[in-house]
Amino acid sequence: MSKLNQKVDSHDCLIQIVRNNLVVSNESKYINCSALEESGSINLNIEVLESDIATRINLQALRDSYINLNIEISLLKGARLEVLDESEYSKGSEIKINSELKQGSSFELYRLNKFNQSTENKYYHTCNLSRNCVFKDFNFTNGSKQMTNETIISLAHEHAKYIGSGVVITNSTNCNNTLKINHIAPSAISDCSFKAVSRGNAAVTFNGKISVDENCSNTVSNQISKGLIMDEESKVNLIPKLEINNDDVVCSHGAASGKPDENVLFYLTSRGISRKDAEKIYIQGFLGEYIYKIDNAQMQAKAKQFISQNA
Amino acid sequence: MLEIKKLSVSVEKNKILDNLDLTIGSGEVHAIMGPNGSGKSTIAHTLAGNPNYNVDSGQALFNGKDLFELDPSERSLEGLFLAFQYPIELPGVSNASYLKQILNVHRKYEGKDPIDAAEFLKILKEKSNRLNIPMEMHSRFVNTGFSGGEKKKNEVLQMDFLNPSLVIMDETDSGLDVDALRQTSEAVNQLRSSDRSFIIITHYLRLLEYIEPDYVHVFQDGKIVESGDKKLAHKIDKEGYAT
Ligand SMILES: Nc1ncnc2c1ncn2[C@@H]1O[C@H](COP(=O)(O)OP(=O)(O)O)[C@@H](O)[C@H]1O
Ligand SMILES: [Mg+2]
Repeated sequence: MSKLNQKVDSHDCLIQIVRNNLVVSNESKYINCSALEESGSINLNIEVLESDIATRINLQALRDSYINLNIEISLLKGARLEVLDESEYSKGSEIKINSELKQGSSFELYRLNKFNQSTENKYYHTCNLSRNCVFKDFNFTNGSKQMTNETIISLAHEHAKYIGSGVVITNSTNCNNTLKINHIAPSAISDCSFKAVSRGNAAVTFNGKISVDENCSNTVSNQISKGLIMDEESKVNLIPKLEINNDDVVCSHGAASGKPDENVLFYLTSRGISRKDAEKIYIQGFLGEYIYKIDNAQMQAKAKQFISQNA
Repeated sequence: MLEIKKLSVSVEKNKILDNLDLTIGSGEVHAIMGPNGSGKSTIAHTLAGNPNYNVDSGQALFNGKDLFELDPSERSLEGLFLAFQYPIELPGVSNASYLKQILNVHRKYEGKDPIDAAEFLKILKEKSNRLNIPMEMHSRFVNTGFSGGEKKKNEVLQMDFLNPSLVIMDETDSGLDVDALRQTSEAVNQLRSSDRSFIIITHYLRLLEYIEPDYVHVFQDGKIVESGDKKLAHKIDKEGYAT
């Protein structure tokens, strides 16, 4: 069992899970972290205070064993937090995040995970947004044998905004994704896209549920899900569900999956690109379509790199 | 350069090309004219290797190689280029990155290193300028949301990048306004040389007034029904295809 509690003057914060320990370095003065490890599970508490510059946490799982991580995130009024996780979780993982965004706070989460092909990985995130909060949630995953992603968003007060983008590249993966958006308060915005590339006998499911409560006038909610099926053995199942109980709602949704367009592949090959590379470019295009939604330039570059390395 | 012998092609069991013969020498410009549905695009796509078009019989030799033994990418690398009548949209990939990739795959085939970023930008500016293409277009996704004219110019730009020995232009002039037609024709004329041949498919004399053909062929029902020189194009312009 280990316990950490430290404060350092910097906006960048590195949290490393090393062996049976957890190391927090360069801790920002705007952030309080404490961690407790108990019987293989790590409980991490992150509290962020208001500052004009965002605090960025780089989360690195270096431990060569199954990672069981519970994270409690609390953004105090006006606080700003960016979290980047590029870990590979070589032995599998189960991550549970519970985040609470107080008024006017902003949270950006970037998960760019290439999982070991033989592992099982689970991810659960419950996020509660108060008035004028923004949560930008970008998830890019590739690999693992069995994968579960579940995100539940509550837009609990007026002018809360969620922008979410899920990109899943699978090779022989059984991958279940759930995104629930609950519009509980009026004048909130949700905008989410989900894209999956399914190949090598993979099965991808996306359950996208949007519910808008009776009192939620002036709601804007968009959801789009698309699946690209690269071979005969692979599957994509997109299940959008809308429960809208208010008339004053601007809502768009769409779901489509299919094989690559042969006309596009022919166009690319007619320029000298091999069939294999044409498929790769096609996948990059498919996944890159919404990348401009990442307005953080550094993270957009990371996402582009992730796509080109994993397509 | 290209020798087509007794070529028959079908699409979804419908016979489109019927025993077609056509020989194109080095440096020659051949115009193909003909009514809608006569098989002009079919010949273009068959030569480029579109899998929707089935070669039932016949042969095509391209610089001595059996064209139908090569897959579409090999045909391109060997120097064949098709400017599409309907260029394809590729969302999610910027035009600049696309152009760089197609250039580099050809450079690799020629044993050259990938082009460096500054050099690419310089060439891109130079070639775009010649076609009056704004640089802004290259940050957009390939052909996606491009106007008809922009798509056609982008085809000519790709041709310019890939330096082909046989160019097939499938109604490149349709969708271009007068200025754009002149600019693209000038760009094409600059690329004319004794070791580069062109097949120009068009409905209109106006293109052939800019790019002067050595031969004109009239297509009807998947066959060449008449061949001649530039005067034939004038005759068709006046009298139509009716025989
Ligand atoms: N993909 C296709 N499926 C079915 N028929 C086709 C297809 N492409 C072309 N055709 C048919 O082949 C004939 C020739 O078409 P095309 O070569 O495109 O003519 P052109 O370019 O001279 O207008 C037409 O009758 C057209 O309907
Ligand atoms: Mg045509």
